[in-house]
Amino acid sequence: MREALEGSQAIARAVALTKPEVIAAYPITPQTHIVENLSKLVADGKLKAEYVSVESEFSAASVVLGAAAAGARAYTASASQGILLMSEVMYNISGLRVPLVMTIANRAVGGPINIWNDQSDTMAVRDAGWIQLHCISNQEAVDTTIQAFRLAQETGLPVAVNMDGFVLTHTMEVIDMPSQEEVDAFLPPFEFADALDPERPRSMGTLVDPNFFPEVRHSHHAAMGKALARIEEIDKAYKKVVGRASGGLLTVEGDKKAKVGILAMGSVVGTMMAGLEDFKDEVGAARIIKLRSFRPFPAKALRAAVKGLDKLVVIDRAISPGLGGVLGTEVSAVLSTLKNAPKVYNYALGLGGRDIPETMYRDLLTTIEDKKAPRFAVFDADLDKLAPEDR
Amino acid sequence: MAQDSENSKRLTELRMKHGRPPASPSEPRAERAETLREAQPRFRGLESGHRACQGCGEALAARLVTESAGPDVMVANATGCLEVFSTPWPQTAWRVPWIHSLFENAPAVASGMEAAMKAKGKNTKVLAFGGDGGTYDIGFQALSGMLERHHNVLYVTYDNEAYMNTGIQRSSSTPHAATTTTSPAGKERMGKRHLKKDLLSIIAAHHIPYAASASVAYPQDLQRKVRYAMGVEGPTFLVIHSPCPLGWRHDSALTVEVARRAVQCGLFPLVELDRGALTNIMPIREPRPVSDYLELQGRFAHLFNKNDYRAQEELDHLQALADHNIEIYGLRGEGVDPIDSTGMSHVHRGGPLAGRN
Amino acid sequence: MTELTRGTWADAGSSLDFKTGSWRSTQRPVHVHSKAPCHATCPAGEDQQAWFAHLQLGHVEEAWRSLVAANPMPGVTGRVCPHPCETACNRTEVDGALAIHNVERWLGDEAVAKGWDYPVAPPADDAPTVAIVGAGPAGLSAAYHCVRLGMKAEIFETLPEAGGLLRMGIPPTRLPRNVLDAELNRVLDLPGITLNLRQRLGRDMTLEDLRERFAAVMLSPGCEMSKPWSVHGAVPPDLHEGLHLLQEFYDHGVLPDAAKGDVIVHGGGNTAMDICRIMMRAGAKSVTLITASGLPGPDTAPDDVINVVPRELEEALEEGLTIIEHATVGRLIMKGSKIKGVEIVSLKKEKGPDGRKRRVEFTGTERVVSVDMVVPCVGEQVDPEAFEGYIDGAYFSPDNPYGRIADRVYALGDARGHRGTVAAAIGDGRIAAEAVAAELAGADDPVADDRPEMSYDGLNTAYYAGSSRVSVAKLPVSERTFEAEIEGGISRAEALAEAQRCLSCGNCLACDNCWTMCPDNAVIKTAELASDGSHYVFDYDYCKGCGLCVQECPTGYIQSVPETS
Repeated sequence: MREALEGSQAIARAVALTKPEVIAAYPITPQTHIVENLSKLVADGKLKAEYVSVESEFSAASVVLGAAAAGARAYTASASQGILLMSEVMYNISGLRVPLVMTIANRAVGGPINIWNDQSDTMAVRDAGWIQLHCISNQEAVDTTIQAFRLAQETGLPVAVNMDGFVLTHTMEVIDMPSQEEVDAFLPPFEFADALDPERPRSMGTLVDPNFFPEVRHSHHAAMGKALARIEEIDKAYKKVVGRASGGLLTVEGDKKAKVGILAMGSVVGTMMAGLEDFKDEVGAARIIKLRSFRPFPAKALRAAVKGLDKLVVIDRAISPGLGGVLGTEVSAVLSTLKNAPKVYNYALGLGGRDIPETMYRDLLTTIEDKKAPRFAVFDADLDKLAPEDR
Repeated sequence: MAQDSENSKRLTELRMKHGRPPASPSEPRAERAETLREAQPRFRGLESGHRACQGCGEALAARLVTESAGPDVMVANATGCLEVFSTPWPQTAWRVPWIHSLFENAPAVASGMEAAMKAKGKNTKVLAFGGDGGTYDIGFQALSGMLERHHNVLYVTYDNEAYMNTGIQRSSSTPHAATTTTSPAGKERMGKRHLKKDLLSIIAAHHIPYAASASVAYPQDLQRKVRYAMGVEGPTFLVIHSPCPLGWRHDSALTVEVARRAVQCGLFPLVELDRGALTNIMPIREPRPVSDYLELQGRFAHLFNKNDYRAQEELDHLQALADHNIEIYGLRGEGVDPIDSTGMSHVHRGGPLAGRN
Repeated sequence: MTELTRGTWADAGSSLDFKTGSWRSTQRPVHVHSKAPCHATCPAGEDQQAWFAHLQLGHVEEAWRSLVAANPMPGVTGRVCPHPCETACNRTEVDGALAIHNVERWLGDEAVAKGWDYPVAPPADDAPTVAIVGAGPAGLSAAYHCVRLGMKAEIFETLPEAGGLLRMGIPPTRLPRNVLDAELNRVLDLPGITLNLRQRLGRDMTLEDLRERFAAVMLSPGCEMSKPWSVHGAVPPDLHEGLHLLQEFYDHGVLPDAAKGDVIVHGGGNTAMDICRIMMRAGAKSVTLITASGLPGPDTAPDDVINVVPRELEEALEEGLTIIEHATVGRLIMKGSKIKGVEIVSLKKEKGPDGRKRRVEFTGTERVVSVDMVVPCVGEQVDPEAFEGYIDGAYFSPDNPYGRIADRVYALGDARGHRGTVAAAIGDGRIAAEAVAAELAGADDPVADDRPEMSYDGLNTAYYAGSSRVSVAKLPVSERTFEAEIEGGISRAEALAEAQRCLSCGNCLACDNCWTMCPDNAVIKTAELASDGSHYVFDYDYCKGCGLCVQECPTGYIQSVPETS
């Protein structure tokens, strides 16, 4: 059913369709509307779930860990500082191979404190061993959220669904919400083979010594590798039931024959698509690579997607100070094995919620025409605002 | 010695004959008689083969707790000695479903498990275990949250009064004047400068249905409290005084004796609280001087240095703290009570005199 | 190869694969059944702890059966024994010794009342027969134990009735004759025991006859002959010795006329005590006991205390007996053939130059009292007449604990001359019977039980509830007669309550402490309850040797011993 919904409200409805048994969350901007909506659904009796209002994100993550470990479908959502506070638990959830789903309403990480959107939070936990998917629209966020529950239980890994704070979470959009029947047909009831059970009283979270720790990590890495195929299959399966896919690991948009490409994750992909429409006559049409799966990182698909490109702009919504962009660095690494790899320009954009106008498309492409164009920059930083010694 | 070898022969034979006990209650029994171990008339929540030190009070306490709580329970265990010694992969000593996640999140993990049970309409009771570090200190917030949200969880803290797993560092539960590796005694210090945190009063302020202190010296009392808490719907809390021979520096054989003296001198009062109100205490028949308790332990050895005037001051301070406990909880018994700190120890042929009610 | 589980879960109880028993470095706990002090000191060899354990479970008949494995006459010993078991009882240090003799007496009476069968089987027709000379406590015990061990016994008794000293030397106020007869007859009625009355060795047969006719001979003639007594050679012509006075009185109910006046009894044993009390009751003007020993008290060395049953002494004092301790008769003052007075002189047993104790009279302490009668009670000895070649001196002196004085010849009871008690005689009978059985089977002598004794220090008294000793009614002095039993009995409830006071020294109390307190689950309980500790097993595969069970075992039954490879 098509309906104009705020992004957060849409996510709450999508989560409800998956029939979660335990929801735990701690409020943080810009995630709050999601959990408020879920609370209301529970309060109104529209969602039969245990809603646990915890005293911190740390406990939110711990509660869903415990709930899923005990065999319940569990969901949480957070952002920014909350993700960092959760990070210890996030490593634990994935390390114990507990399947559950979290929405990250991406927001900058302080300090200084900043409540607006970028993707520093999710980048800070890129090594936590979770599947991390990015959405460019609220429709994709709804569909990806529902897919994430199936993905989690089929892979035995936790899944984080990223959606840009405010830009998506607080934006009204017409959403085609799948019906309960469709979701039920797509998503089987929760099953976790290794769940805690008095009938088979196993111990989880044991102490693993050096004799087995590398194997533990290898197995986790291998599971992430195998998840690549599952992400695509589940997207296809979803399309079969609901009639709409969300872009598998990545999709190539724009001019597929273009020599110049732009790679990005999240809502900025939409901005670039709009910029392309507006400025293709001025600066030409670019190939736009919409990366959906950041973890596992789809190296093979990426190498195929850049085939024929001379130049590739990688947009980062975060920065690793002293290195540059995280996504850009990873893309460069992956492409380094290609014979005719495109030249990678890695630009951090829109940090801490700086507006990314559609003109950015034009500005990026214009910039890289210059041979002296920097390979990395905080692209939209106005250095005049800095004291000379801080530039 | 003859009895000795007879003993081990009997065991070996039975093991050879019957193999290992089943992994779970529902595992189909092989066509065989029960092993001696299986035939014991109690539930074994914490099995042999764990790697606790000799005379570990925490291992004893955890065994007693799971024995009276199990088998229809699941446990969330904070990081600490108990977790480490019980579950070095690929082995576990637990016979109840058990999960260890982190140091500071056992109450939250337990909350999630409990929410899951509620969502599924199951009656399996959730327990959470932590040491004093995980409870008084790092897991304190999560514990408070769990209690406030009224989860149906029995939280048990095994109080050995320091971070033992990392090598005896002081915690907020370490008693005043005790030495640890981070509160050593020296020219300028007489051990820990601060007081033991009065956790039970903080717990009481949550007005939960039941909170109590117990001691390994009084297993029947301890198990009665566990059984009582198991029957309560809502959050319940138990702090168990669990001597650590290594950290307290006493002979491994003296674990129960040390714990008993802690109760009998008033430094570790055994009390029960209902919705935050004191409802029951274990009276002390004849309070012993705190020195009876302290003198058994190396961590207080500096208090018995006759050449240091501060030693007597600290002894007097600890005595005053014990007297204060006796006064505020009204621990002084009146005459002979079969369930006071003397009577609760009494046994007769067939078991404890006060019974396992 | 161990395969990694996803998320590294582990299977329940898999730690059993890890044998922490290998951590035990120096010590391991073991079950050590030490002797309880009551058992260690019991001359009859009773294991009081063992039969109290049955009583603690409410199993009265089992308790009696356990008791009579050593002593067939608890009804008798419960009345006459000076109960060294109670003196040794570790509970003395807590809140008073167990009233062992009262419970023993109740058990004996209960067995008679209920007609419980002795736990013995009739001997085989061709079982060897042992001749027993004398039907006193030693002879009766020997006969009983012979039957218990599968032999037959034929008793030869001089007197027309069995009982020996029990009948001839102990007043009915201590041992009512109906009690004696009931228990004694039950023993004599056992299959395999033949009693021949009015048969005197040396008159009706000789020892050599018996040796020829029987598989073995046990001599338990008792001490019927008073030891010679004189004061520096002087003996009053109308001398009546204590034992004979007693026997006369039991047989005919009369005492000499002089006994109406002031009487001095000289001596110190139970016979002296009994005759003093009978004479007081029969109307003596005064009775004074002069004894070289001391009265019990903090200043009296244990080996200097007058050798009488403590409660007998207590009762005699209640009844008005005057005792002059640490004294002897120094001189007799005669008027013609009549005694008129004695000179009393203080003395004490002192260590001499050779380290042995000897009597030292203190010059200057002499005092004269006028008396009408002096009764010596300085002890009795064996009448050596029939035992020529077997006895040298007043008593038999076997050089072994079995009483063997020649091949298949044993001497038992008072005839062995130790500070005799009925219990010791009963113990002699058992030990000799066991030795005979072994000798006849061509086996070595039975090995003495040399287990250590459990001292008070070996107990953990934190585990014992306080409870006071049962109080027993006694006949008031004014109501005491020649016949009525002075000490009252206890009820079944009192007996069972008293049994709960037993600390079970050195043996398992089945209290579950070890099972409850083992941090390593290495104590395994195999059944709900047993009385001997057999239902706890150490699982040394997992026992780390921490010593907690050793420390918390109330009874000292668990002990730490060095680890042996």
